[in-house]
Amino acid sequence: MVKTLFKATPNLAILGTSVFWMYLTLGSRVRKARRAFEKQLVSQGMSKEDAKRLSACYNDLKNNITNMLRRQVVNFERP
Amino acid sequence: MVDEDERKHRNMQPENIKEILSVVSSEVPALIKSILNSVFSEEAGRNMGKAAAAYYKELKNGGMPEQVAVKMTEDYMRTFTSIGDMLRSGGMMRRHGEHSGEDIGAEIEKKIHERLDKKARDADEGEEEEKE
Repeated sequence: MVKTLFKATPNLAILGTSVFWMYLTLGSRVRKARRAFEKQLVSQGMSKEDAKRLSACYNDLKNNITNMLRRQVVNFERP
Repeated sequence: MVDEDERKHRNMQPENIKEILSVVSSEVPALIKSILNSVFSEEAGRNMGKAAAAYYKELKNGGMPEQVAVKMTEDYMRTFTSIGDMLRSGGMMRRHGEHSGEDIGAEIEKKIHERLDKKARDADEGEEEEKE
C-alpha cells in the first residue's frame, strides 16, 4: 500500500497541479472570451453597456461550473 | 474464477497503478482543457459573439425596436448559460434523487394550469375594456 502510494505520488502531483493551474487561469480565459464577444456585438451596432450586460452570461456560466465542481469535490466522500 | 481474481490482483500491483495514473495524469488535464477551451477561449467568444450579433442584426433589420432586440438577444444568450444550470441540476438529481418523473410531470401540469388561468384572466380583462 505504502509502495503504491509512493509510486503514485508524482502522477497525482502532476494531475493536481494541472487542474489547479486550469482553475487559476479560468478567470483570464473568461475575460478574453468576454472581450471578443463584446467586440463582435459592438461591431454590429449594439451599445457597450448592453454588450457588457449580455457578456455577463460568461461569468454566470463560469460560476455555475466551478460551483458544481466544488460541490462535487466537497461531497465526494458522502454517499 | 480463480484466474479472474489473479488477474485483478495483478492489475492492482504498484507498477500497474503507476502506469494507469501516468496515463490519467496526462489525459484528464488535456480533456478538461479541451472542454474549457471549447467554451472559455477567445475563439469561442468570438464565434458566440458573431452568432449573437447576427441574431441582433436580423432583429434590427426586421424592424424590431432596439430594446426588444437587445432583450431577445439576451434571452438567446440565456440558453448558453442554461447549459451550466442543466449540468448542475443533473448532478443534483443524480445525487439526491429529489425529482422523480412524477414530480416533474406534476410540476409541468401546475405550470400549464397557471398559464391557462393567466390567459383566461387576460381575455376577460380585454373583453371588459372593449365593453367600456
